[in-house]
Amino acid sequence: MSRDEIIQARDRSLSHLRGIFGDDSETVIAEKRYGFIGGLLKDILRRPTTEKVTTSHKVDQVLLHRIWGIPIFLGIMYGVFQFIFNAAAPLTDLIKAGLSQLAQIAAGVSPAWWGSLLGDGIIGGVGSVLSFVPNIFFLFIAISILEDCGYLARAAFVMDRAMHRVGLHGRSFIPLVLGFGCTIPAIMACRTIENPRDRLTTMLISPFIACGARLPIFILLAGAFFPMRAGLVVFALYLIGIGVAFATALIFRKTLFRGESSHFVMELPPYRLPTFVGTTIHMWERGKHFLQRAGTVIFGAVVLIWFLGNMPWGTAYASAQSWLGRVGSLVAPVFIPCGFGQWPAVASLISGFFAKETVVGTLGAVFSVEEAVLGGTLTTQLGWTPLIAFAFMVFSLLYTPCVAAIGTIRSETHSWKWPWLSIVYSTGLAWVAATLIYQIGRLVIGS
Amino acid sequence: MTREITIALAGNPNSGKTTVFNNLTGTRQHVGNWPGVTVEKKEGSYDYRGYRVKVIDLPGVYSLTAYSPDEVVARNFILEGKPDVVVDIVDASNLERNLYLTVQLLELEVNLVLALNMMDVAKSRGYEIDVEGLAQELGAAVVPMVATRREGHNQLLQEIVAVGEGKETLERTRPYYGSELEEHIEELEKVIAQDEELSQRFPLRWLAIKLLEEDSEVLKKIGVKV
Repeated sequence: MSRDEIIQARDRSLSHLRGIFGDDSETVIAEKRYGFIGGLLKDILRRPTTEKVTTSHKVDQVLLHRIWGIPIFLGIMYGVFQFIFNAAAPLTDLIKAGLSQLAQIAAGVSPAWWGSLLGDGIIGGVGSVLSFVPNIFFLFIAISILEDCGYLARAAFVMDRAMHRVGLHGRSFIPLVLGFGCTIPAIMACRTIENPRDRLTTMLISPFIACGARLPIFILLAGAFFPMRAGLVVFALYLIGIGVAFATALIFRKTLFRGESSHFVMELPPYRLPTFVGTTIHMWERGKHFLQRAGTVIFGAVVLIWFLGNMPWGTAYASAQSWLGRVGSLVAPVFIPCGFGQWPAVASLISGFFAKETVVGTLGAVFSVEEAVLGGTLTTQLGWTPLIAFAFMVFSLLYTPCVAAIGTIRSETHSWKWPWLSIVYSTGLAWVAATLIYQIGRLVIGS
Repeated sequence: MTREITIALAGNPNSGKTTVFNNLTGTRQHVGNWPGVTVEKKEGSYDYRGYRVKVIDLPGVYSLTAYSPDEVVARNFILEGKPDVVVDIVDASNLERNLYLTVQLLELEVNLVLALNMMDVAKSRGYEIDVEGLAQELGAAVVPMVATRREGHNQLLQEIVAVGEGKETLERTRPYYGSELEEHIEELEKVIAQDEELSQRFPLRWLAIKLLEEDSEVLKKIGVKV
């Protein structure tokens, strides 16, 4: 008997069933399963006559309130970020201090090229990654606690309506929150989204959520060029990222991934006291992807950048004559409309393609100055204005997050199509956005 | 000589599946990926009464449709890995939703052990569950548990081996879906039964139901273009 006959028999049944039930058979079968369960439970389960209003239910009435739900959520997120920065700051300082000790030791190592690879390359590069490991781990601790106590599912529920406006589902929300730490676990968290269209859309917009690696760029440049309003500028950049992510979702859902966003019932797990072990495991599972990346891809990228900065042999590290400088010079004209068509800026963006953590480090290496005075150097050496710095930050925010994130999109989708789309779309968008900011800004300011 | 049993842990997210897995295997576990997809695969093992029991932790799912990679992975392992026993971890305080997966495991005709977890929560909500009655109606062993306190752990170990040895006396229930649907399921079963390859690879009734659900993954498997 051929398969066609099976399908024919099935089609006959389907049309017959549709006639009886007036609904698609998948729904009918699901209802029958629940019918079986309902009958079973009548026999074996006795519920209290008056169902107790559980504590869970009472808490939900507050946290899931139609009006207060969102402000409460924003308040909790604000608290989380406060917690992260305050808790991580001492550790970050400690790591930075340790690294500068190491760098001094490396500076004395001979031969000089070896010392340079160790100091400028590895310690400088991997060090810049290590210095915000505390930030990322504290973010993941906070998220794991929120998840394990049951709040994160509620937050997704609260955001569900807003997410539907851009054609997404509340489930897309958790990956996006993770994206504030690192884009890789964000992309990986998209696995829980059932609808493939929703999953791909979420995967492709999560790189626009400003990850921890982009923060050092913002902090440095906002601090140097907008000393009075640094916090506001950084906040604005985060908002731009979120806005671009949502706008992109809307565009993709109208073009590439047409169709209804899914209306699956979201599950609200009971509130539970998070256990230490459970939270630690969750934190570790997310954080380890970041560490693995720091240990492999970023390490490789740092060595590569160091190599490009030192070739041909004998040139001063990251000078205009180095390969890095030459590639930067070659590509620089493309960025003239954005305001930063200068080779050091472009070279740092190229290294940022491998890992955004290295953007600041590369800029520092080009001018061989400490990060603290880098802002001043950019003004005097490259003639940067606050406007250019802002355009540069927006570009850094929006263009391809890093090779590792792209690799994750590749491995999660089993296709090269989506990573390429992500690279082209985000880099193109970043260029357009930076150009618009610079050109319009110039007109407004009149310089 | 030690004999080997392979068991799969199935269950909804938040049903305590990970706790049960940890209780069973302790530190003897490792994490890899399911082939072809980036869904995490946890495996472990333990020894019990002359048996080496290999434990596969399936992804936590509510259902076994083809809507997410997790569900497909869980389902394919049951179909192709042919575990000797499937332990279904069920949240006793939320039976209705959790049993939805159980029903689908019955459709798959697995050798089922139902781990009725979080009995303490169910009790505190005032639920009274007739454990023996549940076992009778499902036709499967049911072990009431509180996995976080290892309550019911020993009974679970016993039942797994008993079911794995084929000593289960209860006969697996076939969920009944109403005369109209049953009629068509039965008819399709007959048609499929004539296809030797298919009837060897899949439980007939399950395949019939999946065809009626227009399950894309199953259609692909049997070589029909969607």
